[in-house]
This record gives sequence, C-alpha cells and structure tokens, in this order.
Amino acid sequence: MRVGTANSYDSTISNLNTRQGDLVDLQEKLSAGKRVVRASDDPTGAAQAERAMTRTDRIEVEQRALNLQRNAMAAAEATLGDANSVLQTLRDLVIAAGDGIYNPVNRSSIASQMRGLRDQLFALSNRLDTNGVPLFGGLASALEPFTDLVAGVSFNGLSGQRAASTVAIPSVLDGQAIWMNVPSGNGVFNIALGGANGGRLWTDTGQVLSPTALTGNDYTLSFSVNAATGATTYDIVNASTATTVAAGQAYVDGQDIAFDGLSFTAHGAPADGDTLQLTASTRTDLFAVVDAAIAGVDGAGNDAALSQAIALALTEIDAGMDRLQSARGFAGDLLNRADNIDNRQEAKVLQLAADRSRAEDMDMVQGISDFQNQQTGYDAALRTYAQVQRLSLFNYLG
Amino acid sequence: MGSSIMNIGVRALAANQGALQTISHNIANVNTPGYSRQSAVLQDVEGQYSGSGYFGKGVEILTVERIYSEFLTRQSAASKSVAAADTARFDTLRRLEEIFPGGPDALGASVSNMLNAFSDIVSAPTDLTARSVVLARADEMAANFRAAAGQLNDLKLGITSQLENSVAAVNSLAGQIAKANEEIARAMGGGHEPNDLLDQRDELISQLNRYVRTSTIAADDGSVGIFVASSHPLVLGTTVSPLSIVKDDFNDSAKSQLAITVAGNTHVINESLLGGGEIAGLLRVQNTDLVDAANLLGRMGLAIATRMNEQQMLGVDLNGNPGAPLFSFNAMPDGLPADTNTGNATLSLAIQSSPTSGTDAFVASDYQLAFSSGSTGTLTRLSDGSSTAFDFGITNPLQIDGVEISISAGAAAAGDRFVLKPFSAVASDLSTAFSSPRGLAMASPIAATAGTTNTGTLALEQLDTLSVPPPPAVTLNFTGPGSYTRSDTGATVYTYTPGQPILYSPALPPNGWSLTLKGTAQAGDSFVVDANPYPMINADNARTMLDLRDALLFDGGPLTDGYASLMAELGIRVQSAESAATVSRHIADNIEQDRSSISGVNLDEEAARMLQYQQAYQASGKMLQVAQNIFDSLLQSLGR
Repeated sequence: MRVGTANSYDSTISNLNTRQGDLVDLQEKLSAGKRVVRASDDPTGAAQAERAMTRTDRIEVEQRALNLQRNAMAAAEATLGDANSVLQTLRDLVIAAGDGIYNPVNRSSIASQMRGLRDQLFALSNRLDTNGVPLFGGLASALEPFTDLVAGVSFNGLSGQRAASTVAIPSVLDGQAIWMNVPSGNGVFNIALGGANGGRLWTDTGQVLSPTALTGNDYTLSFSVNAATGATTYDIVNASTATTVAAGQAYVDGQDIAFDGLSFTAHGAPADGDTLQLTASTRTDLFAVVDAAIAGVDGAGNDAALSQAIALALTEIDAGMDRLQSARGFAGDLLNRADNIDNRQEAKVLQLAADRSRAEDMDMVQGISDFQNQQTGYDAALRTYAQVQRLSLFNYLG
Repeated sequence: MGSSIMNIGVRALAANQGALQTISHNIANVNTPGYSRQSAVLQDVEGQYSGSGYFGKGVEILTVERIYSEFLTRQSAASKSVAAADTARFDTLRRLEEIFPGGPDALGASVSNMLNAFSDIVSAPTDLTARSVVLARADEMAANFRAAAGQLNDLKLGITSQLENSVAAVNSLAGQIAKANEEIARAMGGGHEPNDLLDQRDELISQLNRYVRTSTIAADDGSVGIFVASSHPLVLGTTVSPLSIVKDDFNDSAKSQLAITVAGNTHVINESLLGGGEIAGLLRVQNTDLVDAANLLGRMGLAIATRMNEQQMLGVDLNGNPGAPLFSFNAMPDGLPADTNTGNATLSLAIQSSPTSGTDAFVASDYQLAFSSGSTGTLTRLSDGSSTAFDFGITNPLQIDGVEISISAGAAAAGDRFVLKPFSAVASDLSTAFSSPRGLAMASPIAATAGTTNTGTLALEQLDTLSVPPPPAVTLNFTGPGSYTRSDTGATVYTYTPGQPILYSPALPPNGWSLTLKGTAQAGDSFVVDANPYPMINADNARTMLDLRDALLFDGGPLTDGYASLMAELGIRVQSAESAATVSRHIADNIEQDRSSISGVNLDEEAARMLQYQQAYQASGKMLQVAQNIFDSLLQSLGR
C-alpha cells in the first residue's frame, strides 16, 4: 500500500500519544493504589466501593454509640452493685437493732445511721451517665427521675424497658421496676399488728401453704384472754366477706396459725382484744421499705412492735435486693450483648473493607506487570519510530 | 532534420521541467492539510507524415491532474465528523463526572455524615455540641448540593458558549466555501481543473464537518451545495444560510437547539438528524446528559430535604415547640408553556402529600404535558418516553411519580404543551433554615409506658410519631401471649406479633403513631401510648432520623446508597461515551489513512520520480547537443 508521508507521521504521533496516555493513566492508578479512580473506570465497582464506605462510616458511628451505651450500662450495673451493698448494710443494721441489749436511745442512733444509708440509696437511684441522662429513667423521664417528697419517693418517668437491637443496647434501665416495685409483706400477704394492741404479740411474715387455696381476702385475727383461766383464744374473720373462718382457737406461743392456704407463726403473749390484720400484698417502693424500717427501729423499746417491724423489714429488704440483683443480671446480659455486637460489627468492618478493596483497589502485581508491558511497548514504539523516520531516499541523493 | 530534433528536444525539456515542477510542488506541500498530490499528464505529440511514414514530434503536457478519490474524501470527512461528536461528548462528560466524585469528601459522604451525626444526639439528647455538629453537617451537605448545582450550571454555560463559537466557525467556513465555489466556477471556464482550489474547498468542507456533519451535492459549474441534517442548505452556490443557537419552544434555559436561517426564515434543525460534528455532540450532552444529571441531583436534594423536614416537623425542639423545617429550598417551578400555546393556563407543581409523601416515588425526569382539549391529554415522562392519559376533570391535581400537577390559573386550550421540570430548581438553592441547635426537634411528642405490674418480657423496640398533634391516649391490654385489646376499640381482639409494628390507624395517610414491641406478653400486661410528658431528655425523633438512612427513596434503594447509584449512572455514560469516542476515532483514522494512501504525498516516491524526470531532462539536453553537433558537422562540410 502507498503510504502518505504526512499521514504516516500523523498516525505514528497519534499512536505514541495513545500509548503515552495509557501509561500516564496506569501510572495514576498505580500511585493511587486504585483500579477505579473515576466512576467511569468501573461504574459497578465504584458504586460498590462507595456503598462499602457509607456502611463502614455507619458502623463507626454505631460503634461509638455502642461504647457510650456500654459505659452507661456498666455505670448502671455498678450503681446497682453499690445499692446492693448499701441495702446489705441496712439489713445488718436492722438485725442489729433487734438485739435485746439495745435501749431506745441506742436504736435512735442506729436509725440515724440508717437514714444516712437511705440517702445514699436515693442518690444512687438518680445517678446520671456521662452525657447527663439518668441511668434509671425508663422509657422517658425528667432529668431527675426520682424525687423525695414528704409523702414518699415518686418516680417521674414512664415505666418500661427499651429493647436491644442488632447494633445497639439500651443505655437506660426501667427505674420503676427496679426501685419502685417491692412487694409489701411476703409478697402475698402482709401482717400488721392492731394499732391498739396492748399485749406482747408479734408474728413472722408468714408463708403460702397452698397457692390454690388462697383467697386474696383481708382477715382479722382477734385474741381474747379468759380472765379466769388465763387461756388465750383467737377468732379468724374474713374481713372482705365478713364471715368467720374459725372461732375460739387456742393460742400457743410460737405455734403456726394456718387457714385458707396460708400460715404464719405468732409469738408472745397477746392481751385481751389484741388483733392482727392480714391484708393482700401491695407494691411499695424500696425507699418506703427503708423508711418503714427506720420508723420501726427509731426509739423503739424491746416490744412486740419492734419484732414485727424487723421481721417485715427484713423480708421486704430481701425482696428489694432480689429486684436489684435481677436488674443487675439484666444489665450484665446487656453488657454481654454489647460485646457480641462489638465483635460482629468489627467482623463486618473487615468484610466491608475487603469488599471495598476488591471493588476498587489495584492488584499491584497485575498493575506493575501491566505497567512494565506498556512501558516496553512505548519504548519499542519510540525506537522504531526514530529508525523508520531516518529512512529516506533523499539521504542517498547527491 | 536537425531543427526537428531541436524542436523535440526543446519540447521534451519543457515537458520534463513541467513534470519536475509538479514534483517540487508535491514535495513542498507534503505537510499541507488536505493537499492531494498532483501529477503532470504527458502525451506524445502526433507524428508528421512523410514518405517514410510518421515521424514523432515529441512530448507535451496534457494537463496537471490531482490524484484523489471523491468517495474516500467524503468518507473521511464524514467519519471525522462522527469522531468529533463522540469526542466532544466524551470530553464534556468527563468534566461532568468530575463534579460527582466518590470518597470521603464528596456529596454522598456528606449525606451519610449528616444522618450519622444524629447518633450523637441519641446518646446525649441535651448536648448542644452534638446538635451543633448535626447542623454543621446539614449545612455542609446543603453547600455540597449547591456547589454541584453551580458546577453543573458552569458546565452548561461553558457548553453554550462553545456551541456559539462552533456555530460562528461554521458560518465563517460556509462563507469561505461559498467564495471557493465562486472562484472554482470561474476557473473551470478555462478548461482545466483548478486543483489547488478544489483541495482547499475539500479541506474547508472537512473542517466544516468537524463542527457539523454535512452532505455535498456537486453542481455542473464545479460548485458544491452543502446540506446540514440532509435537507437544510447551508451553502448553495455562493449563497450561505447561517446557523444559530436558539432556545427550544419552551424557552427551557437548560437546553439549546440548532437553527438555520434560509432566506429570512428560521427553522429549528432536529437534533437527532445532525448525525455528527462537535455541535451534535455538545447538544446531546447539554440536552440529555446534563439535564439527566441535574435531575438526579435535584431529586436527591429534594427527597432528602423533604423527608428530613417532614421528620423534623414531627418532633419537639429543646424549647418545647414543634419542629420547624430544617432545610429551605425553592419550590417546584411552574410548568414551562410552549410558545405556541393558545390557552393561558399556569401549571403548578407540588410534592405529593397524600395519601403518602411522594418522596419515595420520585423519578429523575422531566415531563411533558400535551392538552388535546381544555382538560384532557397525555402526560409523558421524558426519561423513558412512557405516557399516560390525563383528565383534569376527573383527577385534579394529577399525580405522577410523587409529583402533583394542578392548573393554578387560567385555562388550557387544545394543542397546548407544557414541560414540567420538578427537580430543576432545588439543588441550587438548598440551605439550612435555622442555625440554633436548640431548634432541632429531636424529642418525640409521643411516649409509651409499660404497665407497672407487667409480668411478661415486653420491651419497647420502636415508637414512631406519624402525625402531630398526637392522638388521645391508647392503652393496649394484653389478654394472652398473642392477643390484646385496645382502649379505643373496646372488645375487638388483635393479634400481637413480636417485632411487628402496631399502628394507631391502619388507614392512609399514616397518622398517630407506630409502636413496635418485642418480647412475650402475659395476660394482664399493658402498654400505654400517650403524649410525652418528658420531652427534655428524649431523642426518639433523632432515632427516627437515623432510620432515614434506610428509607427506600431512590428507585427503591436506601437513602444513603442514592449517591452511589447516581455516580454509577454517570460513570456508565462516561464509559460508553469513551468507547464510542475511541471506536469512531479509530474509524476516522483508518479512513484518513486510506484517503492519504491515494492522495497523500510520499517523499520517497517523489524522490524517485524526480530522478526519473531529471534524467529525462538531461537526456533532452543531450538531444539539443546532438542537434547542435549535426548542425555543426553540416556547416563544416559546407565550409570546406
């Protein structure tokens, strides 16, 4: 074929330009370490890399939030532990207060010690996390979820627990369930001494014998002492239905009194006309329990009311500690879960990094080998160009 | 006899000298663009009769011809024209691609950064720093949208001015061709082809084709007629019909069209008939690619800003007030009426609000509305050409792809047309509407409460506010592990499925709230949904903002993936434009090589020919010497 001299120059120059352009392009990719520098290099890969980046950013943010949640939950867990030891100390004091060697003055000082502990307990319930959010706020609450009023402690929040998700754990526990939900008495019924009792009668907190036989009604036990024989008998009246359950039962100190599926032990010598009131258990709060214990101990002599108060306080404090313990267990569960989430997210980040890398990173071995190839090709093009262009018939003329 | 030899010698000298002159002309023009090599056509002169037969009388030059192939010259110009169109489009798309880069500093990252920032508010609802960060990120995202829209506009202006320049060049070239036509017609009268003038005209036509593809028809007088888009006469003889860039009949500022003025009448040239040339490539980029890119960007901005505004307005801010819109942006512009409209209707556009927000149905496209009567006609989505019939008499406003269209003033007449550009004005004006971090409405106006005597493990997974003000309190009373009744519907028993949302009202539009519980219920458990009495340290609305990351917005894809698909879509265009440009350039190069193998000057060949004619010239000189010797011998013999 004929070759136009000017055209042969043009096409060689254009070829050299193309080769040089390819070389520069590859060099840019090599130096950036990326196969996809622009979206047009590989649109699918670029979109994949972009999505992987968005997801990685998101996990980073979720991890940061998870760390805060974990800190808050760890603080809540520690707070519950503190509250438990405070309650344990309180319990020890209540037991100590029952010792017969103390006089009312001694017990007043024990009571003031207990008041100090009660204040600590209250402070614990209002503890905040590092961001100023209450640890025990429930589903929503005021900045101070618990307020200490004359009438007792009230919860300024919405009860309920937020669930953990696949990437987060709740950072707030349900304060209502933990602090404000202690059953009175033994959890089923509550035994109180009649207000006008003159004798030395006290009871334990009782137990359930047969859950199916329980009625849930209120009962009144009235004691009568036969002035002539000195024998003590009692009548049991179902106060809710106004029917007599049993009448003229002989009372023996320390013996169980059982009826309608429940039983308790009465101690001491009741006076004529003394009564016991059995009521169905209600929900009270931990602070009210402690308040009642303090009231029972404060200035109390060695009488039946003290024994009764101590028996009740110990049962209720135990119930409260149970609540705290189970909440602590829940918090521990959540912390565990946080660790699991953490591991999973870390694995996901690695996976995403690999995805991103596969989508847009340069295979260096391949890239460098391509570069060598292209370099050789460009070099060859330059050399042959120089040699071919040196050939001309005019060189041989003249 | 001697004089005859002398004559032949002189003629041969002249002919060979002419041939050598042609060769030197070739050598001189070896690098002249468009030059076709020439060669002197030699012919022997008819012999003279004598008794001994015919004696030749030497050589003469018949003419100087140019060696060229009309077919290849035309093909070369046409293929260069296609290559110029593809290259112009590729170069411009390359710049368009630069506006939408990937990576951590780009628009896409700023969208997800902004949404991610709400996470810190969830962790610390009262922390003003976290709120300021959200506002700063929102501002940054809006700025990124504005910047991208600004760059798109710059690119559009650049293309428009490039188009103007190209059209000016076309008109100037057309003038030169007309002048060449005139000169060629005059020169042809002499009987010989004016080779160099013809080459010049071919070169002018080739240059013209770089801007716009033309077809040529030769006339008898040697002039050529140049036609654009097959049928519009750009040059006829010596008459030029100038091209110009005009707006389309909707006066759409985003688009341009090529027009030709023939004898005072301006006709718009159909873009799809142009076939090639830089102008065709640029028009395609401006009218199609740039419009699509602007729609993709605008849709993303409008959907994100609208969604976030809606969510923000469902919350309560730190001052206890309902949230005010977070972003401000231009409303959808009115439909653009065609110049030919006879009615005076104004078409207003709005985002569909009922039964559900239209944001998730947006399609990145313009629309065209053609009335066949005062209220009926067809509505065409321009991105894919699908059309539907409409009747304002039955449906008003019209709803399409999340956009509502209504006639807000005047009346339409049959034949009226409108172009609707719902996403064209958003991105350039997107900004945050307030700067006080207290204004972020991060608290939910609604809260849930679990019954204090609940014995099951019910836990709140999610509570979303769907409308404000919140509806009256509703208590869910569980009657067993899988059933509950509601305080507002009496004895009706509903099925409880853990993890499934419980809606305040299943009717559209969504209103009230949506509650999702987890865990098992026991008979007697309850949950109350009521107004939130403690909005101060609540960040439930921020939680819902975080969920927007997964909102299915862009053709069914999650919000945070919207940018990746935008990038990929433009990337695919650039990629295909690149391969088109490469292919058409190769074709053009190959045809040019073919043309040049016929018409191009080869220096080695010319050198060889030069030697050939030089020797002939020297031989002719020798002939004169022989004639001289013969004459001298004769004179000597006579003188003796």
